[in-house]
Amino acid sequence: MRIVCPFCGERELGEFTYLGDAKPVRPAADAGEDAVFDYVYLRDNIAGVMNENWYHGGGCRAWLKVTRNTLTHEISAVEPAPGAGAAKVDA
Amino acid sequence: MAEFSWDIRSPLDRALVSGAYGARGDAGVLLTEIRNFDLVQVMARRGKAADMAKAAKGRFGVAAPETPKAVTTADATLIWSGPDQFFVLSQGGKHGTGALAPAFAASTSLSDQSHARVLISASGAKARAMLAKLSSIDLHPDTFAVGTAAPTSMDHTSVTIWRGNDRVDGQAVFNVLVFATFAESLWHTMLDSAAEYGVNIRHSEELT
Ligand SMILES: [Zn+2]
Repeated sequence: MRIVCPFCGERELGEFTYLGDAKPVRPAADAGEDAVFDYVYLRDNIAGVMNENWYHGGGCRAWLKVTRNTLTHEISAVEPAPGAGAAKVDA
Repeated sequence: MAEFSWDIRSPLDRALVSGAYGARGDAGVLLTEIRNFDLVQVMARRGKAADMAKAAKGRFGVAAPETPKAVTTADATLIWSGPDQFFVLSQGGKHGTGALAPAFAASTSLSDQSHARVLISASGAKARAMLAKLSSIDLHPDTFAVGTAAPTSMDHTSVTIWRGNDRVDGQAVFNVLVFATFAESLWHTMLDSAAEYGVNIRHSEELT
């Protein structure tokens, strides 16, 4: 599998680390126990297209959001994760 | 009490043996460790990338690279190392952290990496073939032209590699920056990779 880093270009899988589902969003402080339990412990196990966080540790050390089909490993989109590259925040 | 010597020594001080190595005959690879350089990492603070770009233009007269490139000025090389960050490689203190601080302190964090990295230059007819065994990026001249840079991994070790200006004999020159503590390991790996071509090993105090 190869991932096209938006900063570095196409690189082999060994340069990247998989973090997991990019969907969970930290709930508000008053969201309640169920929402926090869901955020911390529960993950979908999708057979198909999902958004994932990957870390380009063997390259530019940026966090990436990768859209990947877990059945075929086909990657349809790669973009900087929110905050990757100081310019992408508060720019 | 033990006596300590605090002399600055290259991390390759013991590993590097000048002279011929590997196959006999004309050496296909020239490996040179450059032992005397100033290296500063320049990283934009949050939301300050445009200010950093402006400061770089003012300080160096050229735009800092925003893509995987190395830009050469009269007395420094600016090497892209990731989004909104680059290295300044130079000699003689003119572009050390102290010298760069007035221009960059408002927009960036400066980090002196002069003794944290080892700089290895590989050239010769078989330099590309030797590096291709260790690297998964395409080093073909059509793709990796003069001035192309890449933060990548070699033998599971993080490196920054860029192609410098060609030698006077037209041979491509590849520069590799590697963390000091991994330098000896990568050095031996390079020697293993280059042995079949014949290697000429040296070290230099000069950047070019
Ligand atoms: Zn990258």
